Amino acid sequence: MKPLTLNFRSKAALTISDAQIQQSIEHVYTGFFNGRLSAADNTPDWEDLRTKGKAIKDHTIAHLDYYLGLLADNVEKNGGSVFFADDGEEARQHIIDLAYKRKIKTVIKSKSMVSEEMGLAEAMNDAGFETVETDLGEYIIQLANETPYHLIAPAVHKSRADVAKLLDDDYKDGDPVPDATELTMLAREKLRGVFERADMSVTGVNFAVAESGSIALVTNEGNGRMSTTVPRVHVAVMGIEKLVPSIQDLSTMLRILIRSATGQRISTYVTMVNGKRKYDEEEGPEEFHLVIMNNGRQKLLEDPLMRESLNCIRCGACLNACPVYRKVGGHAYGWVYPGPIGAIVTPVLTGLKDASNLPSASSLCGACHDSCPVKINIPRMLLELRYRTAEGSSDNNERASSAKERAIWKAWRMGMMGRRRFDIGSRIASIAMKPFSRNGWLKNAPPPISGWTSTRDFPAITASSLKSRLKKRNRGSK
Amino acid sequence: MADRAKFLARVTAGLGRTEVLVPTSITETAGFEDAATAKVNADKASNDASERSSELTDQMAAEAAKAGWKVHRASNSEDAAGYIASICAQKKATSVLRSNHDVLDEIGVDLAVTTSGATVSKTEHSGDYSPYQIQESKNKAFSADIGITGVDYGIAETGTVVLHPRRGLSRLVSLAPPIHIAVLRPGEVLDSLDELFAMERNDFMSGKLSGSMNLISGPSKTADIEGTTVTGIHGPLEVHLIILTDD
Amino acid sequence: MPEKINTTTRPDRVTLFASCMVDQLTPEVGESTVEVLEYLGVSVDFLHNQTCCGQPAFNSGFRSEAYPVAERFIDLFEKVDGLIVVPSGSCAAMVRNYYVDLFRDNIQLTDRAKQVGERLFELTEFINQFFGNSAVSGKIKGSVTYHKCCHLLREIGVDEQPIEMLTNIDGLDFTPLERADVCCGFGGAFSVKMPDISSAILAEKLDFIEKNGSNTVIAADSGCVYQMQGGLRRRGSDVQVVHIAQILAASIKNVTTSEVKQ
Repeated sequence: MKPLTLNFRSKAALTISDAQIQQSIEHVYTGFFNGRLSAADNTPDWEDLRTKGKAIKDHTIAHLDYYLGLLADNVEKNGGSVFFADDGEEARQHIIDLAYKRKIKTVIKSKSMVSEEMGLAEAMNDAGFETVETDLGEYIIQLANETPYHLIAPAVHKSRADVAKLLDDDYKDGDPVPDATELTMLAREKLRGVFERADMSVTGVNFAVAESGSIALVTNEGNGRMSTTVPRVHVAVMGIEKLVPSIQDLSTMLRILIRSATGQRISTYVTMVNGKRKYDEEEGPEEFHLVIMNNGRQKLLEDPLMRESLNCIRCGACLNACPVYRKVGGHAYGWVYPGPIGAIVTPVLTGLKDASNLPSASSLCGACHDSCPVKINIPRMLLELRYRTAEGSSDNNERASSAKERAIWKAWRMGMMGRRRFDIGSRIASIAMKPFSRNGWLKNAPPPISGWTSTRDFPAITASSLKSRLKKRNRGSK
Repeated sequence: MADRAKFLARVTAGLGRTEVLVPTSITETAGFEDAATAKVNADKASNDASERSSELTDQMAAEAAKAGWKVHRASNSEDAAGYIASICAQKKATSVLRSNHDVLDEIGVDLAVTTSGATVSKTEHSGDYSPYQIQESKNKAFSADIGITGVDYGIAETGTVVLHPRRGLSRLVSLAPPIHIAVLRPGEVLDSLDELFAMERNDFMSGKLSGSMNLISGPSKTADIEGTTVTGIHGPLEVHLIILTDD
Repeated sequence: MPEKINTTTRPDRVTLFASCMVDQLTPEVGESTVEVLEYLGVSVDFLHNQTCCGQPAFNSGFRSEAYPVAERFIDLFEKVDGLIVVPSGSCAAMVRNYYVDLFRDNIQLTDRAKQVGERLFELTEFINQFFGNSAVSGKIKGSVTYHKCCHLLREIGVDEQPIEMLTNIDGLDFTPLERADVCCGFGGAFSVKMPDISSAILAEKLDFIEKNGSNTVIAADSGCVYQMQGGLRRRGSDVQVVHIAQILAASIKNVTTSEVKQ
């Protein structure tokens, strides 16, 4: 998927003023966020699980080369094939070639952010394979020709009327809007035939288990089960980081993933795929292929200050907690991963300079860190990326700060390096602000404070600092 | 094509090393448990299941209901069969698909289904796994009104039914028909996922497990439209759990 | 979170770090802080050379500018005997949790910063640890609610303690704020750099404040106070936003809430 990170501010502004989307996005807080809190409250050892989950992921990434090798060996031992893709293009081409070789006509996809990175569905449709998303949310946005709005609920921004227009050719504006059940049953009907005729599937991987060569798929809908059952060829795609060492580690990860994503104790379906069907199984794929993709994760791996972002298990909890995400929506982030995790991963994977708005679009409230099941310290990485954006190397395509900005902070520093200039600077500002000040508040100030006063009053700088007031009170000033 | 050795060498280099560092630490992950320890843990889980059978079955019933199963505690085989017959009648089922779990024969499911007026067939090809037969099998599942299975395990903590598709138990029988009925016997319930994975760990490592294992915890559902939960998007709209009593 | 001094031995003297915003924008908060501490029997010193902890530049990524300002802060405050109190969770967080990142290439400075950090407390944290939440037992009539400032909550770990302090004040009618722990949208320079997003987040906060019905909102960080008060004023609302130091000080003086701010 081509990054459109440069459009962040304009897309954010559009979303903020879209009342319908603002109302729709509320669900990520009232539903998912509250769900996670409630699930955590009802899980007595929740904090221990988070600690354990972080430890498992830290360990796995620290020995990633070993565990990937082990995974590949075991997948092959079970009769599957492993393809190592350096980037999205390589992965995509391999899958398309495979579809040609196997004379595939219809491809079904279940949710996979990695496949979004590759732009797979679009490319396969262009290459002549009927390629249909089967997760209801992904299906809706495929029909709308859009990208996912949220990691777990890709169509969270769509209203029922939007969905009716996409699913039902006969629906017109002004018709009574069908309820969610009617629309869901309509989708079930439309996708049924696709399931029956699909000869290849491409799924994601929630976790791969290195010691057994298995993959785990977590769904509520059943499309993951369909995808790993009906077609003769099953391709699973994953980023290099999406694995755990053992089947019992998987138990810990499933506990924290599912509760963090939706608040459920377990998803309706957890499907373990151990490779292709055994010879005497009643049905199932004849072939299992695992595509392991790097696609720029190398940069996160090599960067000790950013490496922790590879611990992410793609639960979406940080999105649900983020006050910024809930206002700007998923598309503003311009690439596959929205929200706080997107703000740190997208700049590194697609280029910091163009994506420099992403790490800045945060009040550093820390709700993401709080909500992360594996305790990823996102605020720390946001600050690191801000540092590189402000003062990083322009050779490395990092620095995006303007000369004006650098001058402002230089002036700020000079003003803070001594008490006299600190006081004098404030007194000058106080006098300069006088024309704009009423009853101790500024209603419209010049830049740089104009951004503030466009929507809020700002307190006028006082005539006397604390230092002089305390001196007046004779309070032991040194 | 990306070369495996080169690909993995890049990962090694990314970690700041020139060689793979084989992990030796045992605290962070369960991955270092040897087969003997795994067997001990497996036996512990299995013993726990039989010792606390009654308690775990009760917990299963409660959690399954919360997860959306329609739970029926059958006082005996006739009761279980009668319940199945009444569902078939209620849903005006014409074709019912069943697995070969022996609990279903024990309760006389074939008779119960045919009494209600539907036909019953098993998910089994008698050895013919040709593409034609497999397609026939899929067609049968997609056109069946009800799918009936036993369980391989129940998981009490989450109200989960565990199925290992194999000869005689298809993947689709519990997925394609709009209604799935699962019949569970006491003694089949494990405490949690931890116990399940402890019991099956050596099997997972052996490569002998079937291609897929399913953990089912309620009816298929989605909340992708305006956050409203709707059941039956791709899998069963209704799932029934019949829990037999120890006779 | 790095450790701070874990003792309950009450100091009889502390040094006040005002924070640049209190110092120059709302010095009455500094005065209130002094009044509260003196009420508790703690004398307060004020280093008149203080300026800023360096957070604004650090948060904006301009670490080369933040560094000397932060180093100056350490130079100044490490000479202090005893404890340091600041009426700001975000400044306390900067010194205790983020100086280690800012000074990461300088082991000695990192160590010096750690030593200062161990002795530095946010105001409500200080009161809670050494005096308990019912120590300031004043009296005021009024209806109040409390917004949980993000850095105080998540970086310093102060959650309900200020609420306990408020409910302990005779005459205050406290109603918990819905989504009290959701950010007000201030975020320092973010409020000016991305004002539309900052204001959109603020709008939600203000909607919940208005729904709450209290006539005063209490918060423990000045930036949040300015953000919320500035927005409420712009909406034409009469709701006041007050720093917790001010309401504690006012309660000691037995005045009604509407007279808290000049």
